[in-house]
Amino acid sequence: MARSSTARQLDEAQPLETKKPSFGGGGPPVPPVRPNVTIGSNAWVGVIVFLGAEAMFFAGLLGAYIVFRVSASIWPPQFQPRLPIGVTGVNTVILLASAVTMRWSLKAVGVNDYKKLIRLLAWTVALGGIFLAVQGFEWLRLIHFGLTVSSSVYGGLFYTLIGFHGLHVCGALIWLLVVFVQAKQGRFSKERHVGLQTCAMYWTFVVALWPVLYGLIYLL
Amino acid sequence: MRSKILLGFLSVFAALVYSPAIANACAVCWAGDGGPIEEAFNWSVLFLMAMPYAVVGSIVGWLAYSYRRSAAKQQRNEIAQPLVQLAWNPEESGR
Repeated sequence: MARSSTARQLDEAQPLETKKPSFGGGGPPVPPVRPNVTIGSNAWVGVIVFLGAEAMFFAGLLGAYIVFRVSASIWPPQFQPRLPIGVTGVNTVILLASAVTMRWSLKAVGVNDYKKLIRLLAWTVALGGIFLAVQGFEWLRLIHFGLTVSSSVYGGLFYTLIGFHGLHVCGALIWLLVVFVQAKQGRFSKERHVGLQTCAMYWTFVVALWPVLYGLIYLL
Repeated sequence: MRSKILLGFLSVFAALVYSPAIANACAVCWAGDGGPIEEAFNWSVLFLMAMPYAVVGSIVGWLAYSYRRSAAKQQRNEIAQPLVQLAWNPEESGR
């Protein structure tokens, strides 16, 4: 029976003003089943807002690309070097693999496996570096074949979009190197690894953006 | 009250009489009678209009998902507290 099931006195009628409610009344308030739930740190909110701004930045660039791409009768324009679809496809796989190793590193810190964390972060840094190196090498080849920023609208769009993405990957890689050094110093644990989480969020954003750019610029 | 009604009629009259016949300020209308440029601008504007909703919706959706996951985890971890005390309380019983 409930706590407040009051045994009634049958020989006395209870006055209304002293009548207690039949369920849950009379005692101290029950604490809520769900107290304040903490989703994450304030750093998460900051990184999310930043990523939203970055997404809108790239949306603006993509909007400009859409205007030129849809209005052009022939695309790519004639007498322009063709983009290396195959090599960049392999490069895309390398970058996606770096996102996988980054996710695994988060799981490793969740079980306090520090050796695995450092190993996976090293792999992520290596894969990100390979991606940037291959991109840079392909750029040099394209410039050698005549596709530059000023050669045509095609060249200007390509280097603007891919260049800004490369710049973001470069910044993410620098951040990742700092996190890697911090991990080697033992600054992350299961209870405290906000720096790693925020870096992983930014890295995931940069990696997730690349297939969109690759599909729109290289394939379509 | 009468002045407000008169002002309202005058406003409607002015809007009907002085409405521009040609919208030269539109960024798409200057392109002419259709064609690839107009279509390109249309698609670009639609894409850019949709992007803020997509970004904010993704953020809100992720926050809602994270909250539910954290709440479920917290419920599993914490000691279950009874909603109602079932022990007999002589003070409440009146006996």
